[in-house]
Amino acid sequence: MSEATNPETPLVNWVLNGQPVQSPAGMTIFEAAKALETTIPNFCYHPGLTIAGNCRICMVESNRSKKPVISCSERIAEGLEIQTESPMAIEARNAVMEFQLINHPLDCPVCDKAGECDLQDYSYDHGPDRSRFDEEKNIRHTKELGPTIDIWGNRCIVCTRCVRFCDEISGTGELCVVERGDRSVVDVFPTVPIDNPLAGNVVDICPVGALISNDFKFEARIWNMRKTDSVCAGCARGCNVEVQSLDGFVKRLVPRENMEVNKWWMCDEGRYDYRYLLADERVTACTKDGEPVEDHDAHETLAHWLQDPGGTLGILVDPYITCEEAFLVEQIASHANNALVGGWKPADGTAQSFPGQFTISGEKAPNRLGVEAVLGKLVFGSQGHALRTALEKGQVSTLIVFAGFPHPDPDDAWVQAIRKAKRRAVFALQAGAWTEGAGLVIPGASPFEKDGTYANEDGRLQRVRSFHAPGDVEWSHDLQRLQAVLRIAGLRPRSLSSSAVFRELADVKKPFHGLSHSTLPATGAPLPGFIPLPVGVEGGSV
Amino acid sequence: MSFRKIFTPHLGDPNCHTLEFYEKTGGYEGARKALRDWEPDALIDEVKASSLRGRGGAGFPTGVKWGFVPKQTDKLKYLAVNADESEPGTFKDRVLMERMPHQLIEGIIISCWAVGIHSAYIYIRGEYVHAYQRLVAACAEAYDKGILGSKVLGHDFHLDITVHRGAGAYICGEETGMLTSLEGERGQPKLKPPFPAIEGLFGCPTVVNNVETISNLPYIMEIGAEGYKKIGPESSPGPKLYCVSGHVEKPGTYELPMGVNLLELINDHCGGVWKGRKLKAVIPGGSSAHVLSADECDVAMDIESLAAAGSMLGSAGVIVMDDQTCMVNALLNVMKFYHHESCGQCTPCREGTGWLEKIVHRIAYGHGKLEDLDRIDTVCDRMVGKTICVLADAAAFPAWSFTQKFRDEFIHCIEHGGSPEVKRRHPDRIGGGLHV
Ligand SMILES: Cc1cc2nc3c(=O)[nH]c(=O)nc-3n(C[C@H](O)[C@H](O)[C@H](O)COP(=O)(O)O)c2cc1C
Ligand code: SF4
Ligand code: SF4
Ligand code: SF4
Ligand code: FES
Repeated sequence: MSEATNPETPLVNWVLNGQPVQSPAGMTIFEAAKALETTIPNFCYHPGLTIAGNCRICMVESNRSKKPVISCSERIAEGLEIQTESPMAIEARNAVMEFQLINHPLDCPVCDKAGECDLQDYSYDHGPDRSRFDEEKNIRHTKELGPTIDIWGNRCIVCTRCVRFCDEISGTGELCVVERGDRSVVDVFPTVPIDNPLAGNVVDICPVGALISNDFKFEARIWNMRKTDSVCAGCARGCNVEVQSLDGFVKRLVPRENMEVNKWWMCDEGRYDYRYLLADERVTACTKDGEPVEDHDAHETLAHWLQDPGGTLGILVDPYITCEEAFLVEQIASHANNALVGGWKPADGTAQSFPGQFTISGEKAPNRLGVEAVLGKLVFGSQGHALRTALEKGQVSTLIVFAGFPHPDPDDAWVQAIRKAKRRAVFALQAGAWTEGAGLVIPGASPFEKDGTYANEDGRLQRVRSFHAPGDVEWSHDLQRLQAVLRIAGLRPRSLSSSAVFRELADVKKPFHGLSHSTLPATGAPLPGFIPLPVGVEGGSV
Repeated sequence: MSFRKIFTPHLGDPNCHTLEFYEKTGGYEGARKALRDWEPDALIDEVKASSLRGRGGAGFPTGVKWGFVPKQTDKLKYLAVNADESEPGTFKDRVLMERMPHQLIEGIIISCWAVGIHSAYIYIRGEYVHAYQRLVAACAEAYDKGILGSKVLGHDFHLDITVHRGAGAYICGEETGMLTSLEGERGQPKLKPPFPAIEGLFGCPTVVNNVETISNLPYIMEIGAEGYKKIGPESSPGPKLYCVSGHVEKPGTYELPMGVNLLELINDHCGGVWKGRKLKAVIPGGSSAHVLSADECDVAMDIESLAAAGSMLGSAGVIVMDDQTCMVNALLNVMKFYHHESCGQCTPCREGTGWLEKIVHRIAYGHGKLEDLDRIDTVCDRMVGKTICVLADAAAFPAWSFTQKFRDEFIHCIEHGGSPEVKRRHPDRIGGGLHV
């Protein structure tokens, strides 16, 4: 991979399917062909793992060998001529497909992998249309391998991706192949279940439906789900994910490749955390003084509060709001005579690093840097401190709180402080200490329901998107609610899309200059000139 | 030049495994000579010149293999002696280790001196308990007498030998499988390149040689490459152990020159086919070799001649079958072995070995179909040359050659409700399938 990106690497002249081509030296045939948009089937190859060369599906014809060679391990060389579609290559591939299928149960109708299964896909392309196998199929175990993962052994094609993942990436080594020959199957040692913070990835990389996630088992058919590219909000790493949902419910998260952020992986904490969307404490309707009110009434009330805050206006933000929402917060503050904006963020944990160069950030805040880029470096530092002091002294009349984090663990000092504000409006994901006694409670959107941008711990700006289909939005996200309020208060002419708000932001905030939603690559982009500093370096923690 | 036995002349003596006996009969003179008179590089050239070829199965020139080991390296280098001997029909290394362990140790010293190795492993088949005990005792004697350890035979050269027992897997005889097993991993072959000589045990340059190969070295030291080359055919010379089993009057391990005629081996040395019966077929080099029909058996037992005859010398495990042998049942036995022993990582081998056994089982047990024979053919074709190691080929070769050379017998079984031998031995099981 790295060879491909290094401009110093010399080029090699070789021939792919009759076409003279050039590729950077050192690449495997498979990688070089892929870069030239010729895909060769593969099962055991995974770009993030060492080469095993065991499945043999990637065999191609070479002018340097009488036998077909495996393209995932063989490297390109000057004068090499490779055929991926010659009779020899096709026969080799068909042969492997026939072998793969003879003991495979072909229970696609009840298999969770169906629809994204490499074996299923290749068997359409390369498999025999009827079986020459008249024998009894082998039976292998179906069992629990750990708290979140089962194996359906009959489906295992022994590619060892999962074993290599646990050896090389998580470094925990729980999985192994037991037995030999066609009895081979993946297992764990007795009393040592697969239970590591990255375990869920083995289900993603299993090319077939052998490893099954307990969480997703029988939940949905792959092809029925809606797929939304977004970012995990579990920590400041900001792993790129695809949120897969059905009928307005998130069914699972799978990582999206982003070499700058999460490679091909994500952690289990982030992966399974979406369940809070369904928590009982979820705030689902606006309330005023404890009584349910229509959205519009709530927005109108807040607009009146802003028009006449009755003294100092305090705004308490969290690191879950998007950059666009932060920008609207700044607009609100700038229209008030007297405003104090400060931030609160959940306590840091310890970072966890793994041998496969994957780190779960200790900072459980997905957009601290983005909010700082909009509202100032000190927003979670001295500004937060100043807001709390003012609150404690009873100097804040109107307070707006953003409590959009999934696991509210308010520290007592803040809880006491916010109660001293004369009136309080809370954009809340969940009911709890932050909402208790609030005059106005407005349902907050979760990170999975927001539309905007987050900047991760490296200062990389990435898109978050709502998994809801346009049109069936049950959850107006905070950005829309804020704009509604601003419109009623006469502070903004009309409501705009998140992208349009970002354009305004990019015009006035230096770190965002030149960026836009539409030009932001799928893998995000670094905020130019913005050097991330850990919280506390300037201003200290609040 | 008359042939002089070097491995077996003293087997009659109950003490031939002891150091005392070995030294009395000229033992360790070759190692002394090597350490005293030979520069390592020159010694490698001498072994190259002797044309000694590996006795483990592939017949690779030993000196050439040693030459692949990098001279300049910061890494340790290892010798791994392949004593896994699991090829069906093969039991020569066992004789050497049980009866002549010091000859092997002497050979190890010579090899290690030539390649600059200070640490040697002997990976011994787990079932060889007696041989293991003999080896361990011989090593202890050798350490005790300063033959091994910090000053080998008084020279400024240190060498340690570790004897490691396998846990009973054929695939741990394949060299990279053996090395992964030695490393404590699941014993299964690795992709080559890198070859062990460059990156072997624990990622370090490693020489892998068979027990018999190494046991030849003291003799090469004694008579020199020129003298050694005169024994048997020039391209693969030397004294050779042949393991003869099956339907002969006197099965056993025979020491004869390379290139002895197969019929001479069977008739003159082993007392001929047993019970006065006729010869039907011979597997000349362990079960992985193509079977020879009786009329193909007038052949010299050396690497080139057997290759020309469409088979191989392999491990020189000669399995003799008389005219009452059911070839379908014999092949079933062989297929059962490969199905059991495939390590299972490569798709064609994992699935192919099982499929082959199931088909042959069906034919033997009375459910065969004529198209099964073509099916065996294509399954073999889809296995050969498409896997990490050659176990897949080793399984396909007998399946191919049995069904091609004895096709009539297979057709007879298919048309007459199964193998006569199965009907005789397991009448109750005829008609049954194979469940795994
Ligand atoms: C499936 C398989 C099993 C093997 N088993 C043995 C064995 O038991 N003993 C052995 O010496 N070589 C065995 N070999 C050959 C080794 O891979 C290797 O070629 C040999 O040990 C090299 O030593 P040599 O050059 O002295 O013959 C086996 C090869 C294969 C493919
Ligand atoms: S469980 Fe899946 S990933 Fe693991 S070896 Fe089997 S097929 Fe491959
Ligand atoms: S490491 Fe952080 S961003 Fe990545 S999946 Fe885990 S919680 Fe989410
Ligand atoms: S050919 Fe067979 S025994 Fe050899 S590595 Fe592949 S699966 Fe294992
Ligand atoms: S992808 Fe190349 S052998 Fe599996």
